[in-house]
Amino acid sequence: MKKVLDALKKYFADFFTSIRKGDIWTKLSLIIMGSGYIARKQIIKGILITAIEVFFFAFTLGFSLEYISKLNTLGTVQREEKLDLTTLTKTVNDYDNSLLILLCGVIGILFIVAFILLYISNIKKVYEVQVFAEKGKHINTFREDVKELVGSKFHITLLTLPSLGVIIMNIIPIIFMICIAFTNYDMDHQPPTYLFTWVGLDNFKNLFTSTSTITFGYAFVRILIWTLIWAFLATFTTYFGGILLAKFINDRKTKCKKLWRTLFVVTIAIPQFVTLLLVGKMFSDYGIVNSICNKIGLTAFLQDIGLVSRGLSYIPFLSKPGWIHVMVVLINIWVGVPYQMLSATGILMNIPEDQLESAKIDGATEMQIFWKITMPYMLFVTGPSLITAFIANINNFNVIYLLTNDYVTTNMKFANSNAKEADLLITWLFTLTNDYSNYKMASVIGICVFVICAVLTLISFSRMIAGNKEEEFQ
Amino acid sequence: MKKTVNMVIRHIFLAFLAFVWLIPIVWLLATSFSSYKGINTMHFFPTEWSLDNYMQLFFRPDTVANFPAWFRNSMIIGVFSCIISTMFVLMVAYSMSCMRFNGRKAVMSFAIILGMFPGVLSMIAVYFVMKLIGLSNSLVGLIVIYSAGSGLGYLICKGFFDTIPVSLRESAKLEGANELIIFSKIVIPLSKPIIVYTVINSFLAPWMDFVMAKLMIRSKDPGDWTVAMGLFNLVQRTLVGDYFSVFCAGGIIVAIPISVLFVVMQRFYVEGITGGAVKG
Repeated sequence: MKKVLDALKKYFADFFTSIRKGDIWTKLSLIIMGSGYIARKQIIKGILITAIEVFFFAFTLGFSLEYISKLNTLGTVQREEKLDLTTLTKTVNDYDNSLLILLCGVIGILFIVAFILLYISNIKKVYEVQVFAEKGKHINTFREDVKELVGSKFHITLLTLPSLGVIIMNIIPIIFMICIAFTNYDMDHQPPTYLFTWVGLDNFKNLFTSTSTITFGYAFVRILIWTLIWAFLATFTTYFGGILLAKFINDRKTKCKKLWRTLFVVTIAIPQFVTLLLVGKMFSDYGIVNSICNKIGLTAFLQDIGLVSRGLSYIPFLSKPGWIHVMVVLINIWVGVPYQMLSATGILMNIPEDQLESAKIDGATEMQIFWKITMPYMLFVTGPSLITAFIANINNFNVIYLLTNDYVTTNMKFANSNAKEADLLITWLFTLTNDYSNYKMASVIGICVFVICAVLTLISFSRMIAGNKEEEFQ
Repeated sequence: MKKTVNMVIRHIFLAFLAFVWLIPIVWLLATSFSSYKGINTMHFFPTEWSLDNYMQLFFRPDTVANFPAWFRNSMIIGVFSCIISTMFVLMVAYSMSCMRFNGRKAVMSFAIILGMFPGVLSMIAVYFVMKLIGLSNSLVGLIVIYSAGSGLGYLICKGFFDTIPVSLRESAKLEGANELIIFSKIVIPLSKPIIVYTVINSFLAPWMDFVMAKLMIRSKDPGDWTVAMGLFNLVQRTLVGDYFSVFCAGGIIVAIPISVLFVVMQRFYVEGITGGAVKG
């Protein structure tokens, strides 16, 4: 923390010394950003920087300022259509679009922040050039500047486009959705016809209340618990399943290893959305599995022992809570184990052969070798990816959404908040936005998912970034 | 004697597992050759075999199923976003692994924090942004969506680059090579496995994704859809009775490009994953 403060202090201190000690050209750069460069004969650079400055002011004053100034209310003029009875043409008043105000406002503010950063670093650079000139050191020509972009400043060349992409596709949308969590943007407040506005922490309060009308609290707690249970089960079943299967296939006593491996890998080749929809149809109430179970008498047997109620003529694999939870985990094993098997195969092959040999000579049994050598090695190599997999399973949209697509909940408390028993937070969020346009609650849930993932990721990655391990193998 | 029994049991067990794993695939394949269009719930194998589903898929596009157009759209999206994402990932991974600059660690931590936001959360906002730029409802828009943020997935690739001996780069530098030459002539040729891994992943992600496509392409004309969207639509309640076996045939066709990619690159694939994973 203190380090960050010190860095900040130095950042601004440098800025002010640059202004104080700068000569007339450096000071002029406060207004015309490129003037300092032009004075030291870096003419093209100077013109480019000034052009950026002109563009920024044109953009902000001409476009985004209007939206930024309305950010505090998100618009006040509602859309009204007037039908002119004499000409029968509709006229629409000059209305505010809350969505556009929020989006363009966010973009405008990002532009301003970026410009301020550029502005400060520009003054520092100009001052640096001034010092160079005073000391009679060499000042780069434009050609040399460009050359540096493939030399010591290559990272700038490489990172520009990817960062731009990340800003447009990740950062702006995320800031936007976080803002939505504090507004009342839902079905009844949809632009352009209606306005929405800031409501503070109301949505967060809603998420934790459960009354007869608002059941978000009821659904949230249950879905959160199921999400965590699901993530745990899904991660560990596929992880251990994959390792065991890889071990089994790679065992010296197994013949035709390649054939077996290929048989399992075939299931990966078919896209998940196809296999999941297909399996979903197989296990549906009147699907093929049910008719087979009926024929061999499994349905009757399950009715006898009370697992299936008497009123049903089928096994409700994907249509009753409890059943659906178990089935989803089982089907996920089917989906996930081949992937795990594939990557575990590679790692198993890397286990130092001499360790296994010497253990065998010392008289260790197969089980001992597996638990004392193979597993610790696997855990060491794949430990961090286990937590990544856990997080991926919290966000495992495909499996849950495609399998529970046809499921209709009978629990009114879930239905009131548009949730289902087998929903994960992530699929609930998707249903809320896609089918019910309840953006405010979806954003709140999204923030909760983020917090959960953030805590888990911090645990796993702090090791990687804090410890200076990245240069170990170079 | 005990040994042979053991062997037999072991293989029977494996065969049983393989059987379980293959049932849905066999059913998919069998149904795709069925002459009955709906879901056959009574028999596992079709009662009458025919190639009609494939013919319908390729030569008789109708108002709900226009497979040639879907396949073309998906292919365009897949190939272009694969090229762009692979380039982005390699570029970011190189700068994070092989370059040392101010704020590198800060950028890396920031990227990890960004990666933790659920993708589904920002989806709808991405839609609004694309609408603002005027790219919603178009293939170009989808390509941008699939590839623009891909730089964030650089970690595994960086792990691989970290294992390339630093002495190689240093000696090249002594010979007067600049970073661009080191990147393109030394690091890239050494990283085949991880490039293959990245290529496969960044082709498969858009090829298999349907949520984003469904959200982004609001057109009602099936000619504008992707394979995933189109096939998903075929098993919706109103259509499944008439198109289920066509859906199965489509599923088989979609698997072909994936299988080709896998077969050609399987050796690299295993190497690629572990090469990066050892670094964790």
